[in-house]
Amino acid sequence: MRKLPAALLVLGLAVVALSLSSCGGGSGGKEGGTLTGSYASFPDYLDPSVSYTAEGWTAMYDTYLPLLTYAHANGAAGSKVVPALAESLPKVTNGGKTYTLTLRKGLKYSDGTPVKASDFAGTVERVFKLNSPGSTYYSGIVGAEQFAKTKTGGIPGIKTDDKTGKITIELTQPRGTFTNELALLFVALLPADTPAKPLSANPPPATGPYEIVKSEPKRSWSYARNPQWAKNNGKLIPEVPGGHVDKIDIDVIRNGATQVNEIERDKTNWMQTIVPADLYSKVKDKYEGTQFRVEHQINTYYFWMNTTKAPFDDPKVRQAVNYAVDSAALERIYAGSLVASHQILPDGMPGHKTFDLYPHDMGKAKALFKEANPSDRDITVWTDNESPNDDAGAYYQDVLTKLGFNAKLKTINADSYATIIGNETTPDLDTGWFDWFVDYPHPNAFFQPQLAGESIAPTHNYNFARTDDPKLNAKIAKLSTEQIGPEQEAEYAAMDKEYMEQAPWVPYGSITNSTFVDSEIDLDKVIFNPTFGQDLTSFQFK
Amino acid sequence: MEGRSPWYLAYRRLRRNRVALAFGGLFVAIVVFVCAAPLWADHVAHTGPNATHTLEKVEVGDEKREVVNREGKPVGPLWFGGGGKFFLGADGRLGRDEMVRLMYGGRISLFIGFLATLIATLLATLLGLLAGYYRGWADAVISRTMDVIWAFPVTLLAIALGLSLATGGLRVGPLHLSGSSIWIPILIIAFVYTPYMARPIRGEVLSLREKEFVEAAVSQGAGPLRVMFGELLPNLLSTLIVFFTLGVANNMLLEATLSFLGVGVQPPNTSWGTMIGDGFELISSAPLLTVIPGTMILLTVLSINVFGDGLRDALDPKSKLRLEAHAGIAEPKGTAV
Repeated sequence: MRKLPAALLVLGLAVVALSLSSCGGGSGGKEGGTLTGSYASFPDYLDPSVSYTAEGWTAMYDTYLPLLTYAHANGAAGSKVVPALAESLPKVTNGGKTYTLTLRKGLKYSDGTPVKASDFAGTVERVFKLNSPGSTYYSGIVGAEQFAKTKTGGIPGIKTDDKTGKITIELTQPRGTFTNELALLFVALLPADTPAKPLSANPPPATGPYEIVKSEPKRSWSYARNPQWAKNNGKLIPEVPGGHVDKIDIDVIRNGATQVNEIERDKTNWMQTIVPADLYSKVKDKYEGTQFRVEHQINTYYFWMNTTKAPFDDPKVRQAVNYAVDSAALERIYAGSLVASHQILPDGMPGHKTFDLYPHDMGKAKALFKEANPSDRDITVWTDNESPNDDAGAYYQDVLTKLGFNAKLKTINADSYATIIGNETTPDLDTGWFDWFVDYPHPNAFFQPQLAGESIAPTHNYNFARTDDPKLNAKIAKLSTEQIGPEQEAEYAAMDKEYMEQAPWVPYGSITNSTFVDSEIDLDKVIFNPTFGQDLTSFQFK
Repeated sequence: MEGRSPWYLAYRRLRRNRVALAFGGLFVAIVVFVCAAPLWADHVAHTGPNATHTLEKVEVGDEKREVVNREGKPVGPLWFGGGGKFFLGADGRLGRDEMVRLMYGGRISLFIGFLATLIATLLATLLGLLAGYYRGWADAVISRTMDVIWAFPVTLLAIALGLSLATGGLRVGPLHLSGSSIWIPILIIAFVYTPYMARPIRGEVLSLREKEFVEAAVSQGAGPLRVMFGELLPNLLSTLIVFFTLGVANNMLLEATLSFLGVGVQPPNTSWGTMIGDGFELISSAPLLTVIPGTMILLTVLSINVFGDGLRDALDPKSKLRLEAHAGIAEPKGTAV
């Protein structure tokens, strides 16, 4: 009996804490207000079916929801696929060829139109009708390739039932990455009557917590809370937070220094663009921890070596180069925006397990080089002209020269760089720089296009090292059909090491992004999703 | 009275122009400075123009300073504090010696300026002589071709050519130049500036070919080649010298523009234009990386222009009178010019 009041007190406190957390989204902080932000350029499209830039994806992450989405979380947790408009993750049957999902009941678009299962079919068809860059992810659906040509007659591989909300997708062959691809913005559901033309000036109705209420392409756009979120969708989709601010106004400010200045003077709350290189260290020194934070992204920067021709057909030479390149020097060349690593899979990618087979050792590099004694030492080093990649190429050339090569640097315009080095008729493709960003965090997106033998192509080749190991090819092919889980992640980690033992690349790190906010915003609350960037629902005034 | 040759008279006129001579001296000093690049690199800085020192430290007195700090900012000018190393600091995140690159870069800038002007002058002289001497269809073909090139803005045409040739190089028959060859900007600059020289040369040839000495040569049986190269060309020399001098300055500026935009001199070669482009990114934290090569271009172009003006006045005093008359400084005297 004497314990009852204490138990009641604890219960009462728990109820208060629970109710506070459910309405405020966390401890303290102000609800409401207008968030102001700046972009360096207007997104390619404010239309989820066609946008294919980081700017567009950040702008629409909280506006248009696909059946699945990426968790609203920082770092590796943000790489997890969670249900959005669908009740749960897909049921995969028929040897990985059939995906079944069910739409949550009672969902509505911001204009009040009910969300229907058939809207998914219409959305995928719209992706093909608009020749969206995302269409490649959905061309494996039965009948999709035919639809891409004719643009009529529907896609037979997608079956929907508006009454039950059931959506069945048939693939022509198993595709282990398809769950990730269902979480991309390209297939965020839009009403059936959405015109098949890009709608940046008049964005379609939303399903997420915010809707775009005004858009002036090239200049600005604004969000307001989606009225249907509070009434319907928000209660049905616990995986997506409702957001703290009521309105968001974004302006295009082309000059990076002006963007920084506006934040320093508290005139803008947030800038989407990375702080310009010449101001980076100043801003970092002054504001890190309070208004500035380095954000990790999933990408790998590396030097490739053509394994099919001398001198890089000798693994010893490639290993020597790996020992010779010093990631610490490259960290400085990237002015602190690079996190060094020496493996293919970057940190944050499922399957990443940290290792370094070739810690920098110039003595060891020279000894290995001497042992290999390559007869052909005249090589061409390729890089693009974008700063600081051009400097990375110049550094690499200097390292190779010090190692004993007669290295010639070739710097190509960034716009045509990948096309030129991806064309087998280009002469002297010996070694060079490249970086790889993925649209979604799946290790297959690294191995398949860049290291699998079947990816070697006469043009538009991304397997610059031209690796073609039958054992590893088979492993990539097997894993590409499987749903990713702990077992697959371990296999990808092992494959990372196996490739690095052959040393076709010199991976040297991942480039970071940054979040810079003014003094009014609570930086600790801001979420940076590795796929979508800053999560607008996470911004909160102090 | 002893007769004086026109060249001697020109020399005397030039000698009296102190300003022109001072700037000519400045230009010679700049040439000596860039020619000393290997000496400075080997014996003072102990590094080459492309050697990177990103992670190294340099001793300044008792202190050891990082050549590039953790944020990627290069060390500033050490003057002689580093024993001659990094006299003007490091060039950026690669930690290359700015002074060594400035000297080597100047060699390339001057080399391109001179060679492009030489090629343009030779081509323009040949085309101007052919068009002006033969007239008729030869003149029509050459002049219209020159007009077509002239119709494009010089810088835009050079950028367009630079963009395409810097990527794919140049292949004409057996001749193959890679995109990073410094011959690419040389040929581009020579090509775009040829019409600007060829047209006035043609005009002068048209005027000269009507003179009595040409008629005399023809009546003595001189053929077209003899007339063009034996009679007309010597009379064009003073014009060509002035064109050449002023052309070098113009061409150095165009090279700097192209290199700044990334379509001129390609890395790892450097010129003052590429150095301005490289330094531009760090203009707020290390402005000297842009200011120093910019100043070198300014001084070189200014010295060539002022000396070139002096040379023109010395070789063709009538032109000075014409200019002064045009500017209202002096009335032309004597016979019409």
